[in-house]
Amino acid sequence: MGDLTTEVLVIGSGAGGAVTAAALAEAGRTVTVVEEGPWVDPDEHEPFSLAEMVAKYRHRGAGAALGNPPIAYAEGRCVGGSTEINSGLYHRLPEHLAQEWRTTYGIDEFSPEVLDAYADRVESQLSVARLPGAPPPSSAVLERGATKLGWRNVEFARVFSYDEAGRGTKQTMSRTMLPRARAAGATILPDCRVVDLVTRGDRVVAARCRRTHPGGGVERLTIHADHVFVCCGAVHTPALLQRSGIRRNVGNGLKMHPTIKVAARFPHPVDHGDVPMHRVTEFSPFIAIGGSASRRGQVAMALADTGQPIDEAMADWENISTYYAAIRSEGSGRVVAVPGLRSPVVTYSLTEADLSRLARGLVHLGELLLAAGAIELHPSVTGGRVVRRLDELGTWWDQVTRSRANLMTVHLTSSLRMGEDRRRTGTDSFGRVWGFRNLRVNDASLLPDAPGVNPQAAIMAIATRNCDHFLADA
Amino acid sequence: MTTDNEPAATTDPVPSSPPAPTVVVTGSSGWLGQNLVRALVGQRERIRCLVPTDDQAAPLALLSPSIEVVVGDVRDPVTADRLFEGVGPGAAVFHAAAVIHPRRGTREFFDVNVGGTQHVVDRARRAGAARLVHVSSNSPFGVNPSPDHVFTEDSPYDPWLGYGRSKHEAELIVRSAHERGDLPTVIVRAPWFYGPHQPARQSQFFRSVRRGRFPLVGDGTQRRSMAYTGNLVQGLLRAEVADKAPGNAYWIADERPYELREILATVRRALEAEGLPTSGPQWIPLPRLAARAAEQADRLLQRTGRYVQALHVLGELNHTIACDVSRARDELGYRPTVSLEEGMRASIRWCLEHGEQL
Repeated sequence: MGDLTTEVLVIGSGAGGAVTAAALAEAGRTVTVVEEGPWVDPDEHEPFSLAEMVAKYRHRGAGAALGNPPIAYAEGRCVGGSTEINSGLYHRLPEHLAQEWRTTYGIDEFSPEVLDAYADRVESQLSVARLPGAPPPSSAVLERGATKLGWRNVEFARVFSYDEAGRGTKQTMSRTMLPRARAAGATILPDCRVVDLVTRGDRVVAARCRRTHPGGGVERLTIHADHVFVCCGAVHTPALLQRSGIRRNVGNGLKMHPTIKVAARFPHPVDHGDVPMHRVTEFSPFIAIGGSASRRGQVAMALADTGQPIDEAMADWENISTYYAAIRSEGSGRVVAVPGLRSPVVTYSLTEADLSRLARGLVHLGELLLAAGAIELHPSVTGGRVVRRLDELGTWWDQVTRSRANLMTVHLTSSLRMGEDRRRTGTDSFGRVWGFRNLRVNDASLLPDAPGVNPQAAIMAIATRNCDHFLADA
Repeated sequence: MTTDNEPAATTDPVPSSPPAPTVVVTGSSGWLGQNLVRALVGQRERIRCLVPTDDQAAPLALLSPSIEVVVGDVRDPVTADRLFEGVGPGAAVFHAAAVIHPRRGTREFFDVNVGGTQHVVDRARRAGAARLVHVSSNSPFGVNPSPDHVFTEDSPYDPWLGYGRSKHEAELIVRSAHERGDLPTVIVRAPWFYGPHQPARQSQFFRSVRRGRFPLVGDGTQRRSMAYTGNLVQGLLRAEVADKAPGNAYWIADERPYELREILATVRRALEAEGLPTSGPQWIPLPRLAARAAEQADRLLQRTGRYVQALHVLGELNHTIACDVSRARDELGYRPTVSLEEGMRASIRWCLEHGEQL
């Protein structure tokens, strides 16, 4: 049983928590960061490999939102959170969304200009760059198919830095914001899970934790803090608040980008070391098309989604790469902490329009891949037709059903929402939880909706903004 | 070509370009499509028509040697390719294929109305079409806030249930295609229409009005804009050529909205004038509460993906759905010439000529 006192406690070390820790430590505050997952040397595992998945993902990458259909989701559980495992695509929050969110939720100081200024600052602190030289074959496929069909596509910038040989290193939180926080005096405690928060009236006074030691022993630790920032992501932030008795507008309204996949076989090898950086934006804001990590393990998992034998295709796995269509969804979900269970129950309901959009995305993805020269398409649909010709694609419309579609997501947001409209939000415009003076949320939970693009840039810009507000205020 | 289908000839000249010699029409076997295709016959060199099933191909192909029929599912990328194969640049495209009363649940709204629109827009662009005229609806705008309100082109979107949401998304796709800069598009929004080549549900409407069995919700002063198919075809053809049209959307309907009680009384008059004596009361009065209950039930069912046509229609009858056609007059030179009674009589005559028992 240990006790620890800090001025600012940051719970979680992903895109939200790491930014918060760095900003506040550099402003001279005494900061302690606790992270449930382990510290993993960023160079230890091959990027996008299965070994990395086991080491850095929650549940080894196998979480699922219950519903009809269930939707698998993946999130990081390590120092640096999901920034350690994602593809690092960087996209500022689209301006029209900032406008829409500002009016719908009554968010103060949320104009596109304000957000752009914060995005500028984030970009000056990270390295955001485009690939020097030609894209890898897996990404060139997207560009080639889109160009052939006249569909708009872009090469996304990524939070990568490149050396002179053009070798890229992803600028994860463990390589950027967390070392900065530490250099400014912050303490980072990995393997430390917060069980609940101790509240007294309108204040949080402490966090009760369980810290796992390298040898395996578990220590109870109570951390007393003047200010607490909860940054555990859209699933675990509301769960922690609920476990602490804080429930108003907490955990409902979860949003995500439901995603359907195709494993595409080409008559030539595709690379497997990187993740495609091209995206097809022709169907935005409803559908985004891109590519996923496609090492041997991911290819096998993607092929298995049709439920048909994969041996023949696996023999040729080096010619196979996986691609996806992700949608903006009308549906929403819930996070509910269940006493006695370590992880909350997550549910999500897709609407009929969502399902149709997924089917449409899959058909467009098929058109694109065939145009790019793919010779065989395996959809992530149980019993789904393996397509070799354009005239077979139409069958996918009726095969994408609630019982057969295998869906996943890597973007979860909106389980609290910020803004001054108290009926719709769990926090004020700057992440302070309603009813509390010193409890703040600073992560993807604050985004009022799924942004339709990779949310990391928006999370980091908003977190930086909220820190500025906190520093001016407290 | 019968006189019933002839688009009204008198339109005021507004700056316009010559019509395209080649046209592509989706939804050619539908209610509006049949009227449109007949108006195009004799006027254009090639009329490429999309129909969903084989049995609808032959009657169209017989109309004129200029008609080329393609059979296929508008959701299927290969259908879209075949529809535009060999069409060449400069064609006009009329996209009228859509589902309004789905048989397989609300998912069909989105598959066909959104998915089909995306394919057609995409192929029209690749084929270098001169213009795409998209047939939309009042449903992306919901219902008027009060009986004296009319929608204009500046009214905000407020989609009504599944159909409205699907047609809203289709409009957004059409608009964004225009904004890309390589496919000029025009959106034509039509409310409840009537006229020849009507589906069976419309004969049912005549039968129930004739026998005084059609429900009138409340006092019947809620208003409806209606569009005679001939008027609507004129609007579509003007949208194809008017120079000011690209990038815009227009309401196309009869000259003015009618009160529901006026519509029912007019239909009964039209039936009598065509030699079909009416019986019973003018209508069955129905309390607004019943329509509200139907609307609620429709909403709940649609939330679970189900669709019951009778509930949907009854729920909508409680509301005013009215629009102002001034902008189409000014910018397209649109002149609706057929009146409600005249149009309903043409519609009734068509039913009788086709052996329908009214």
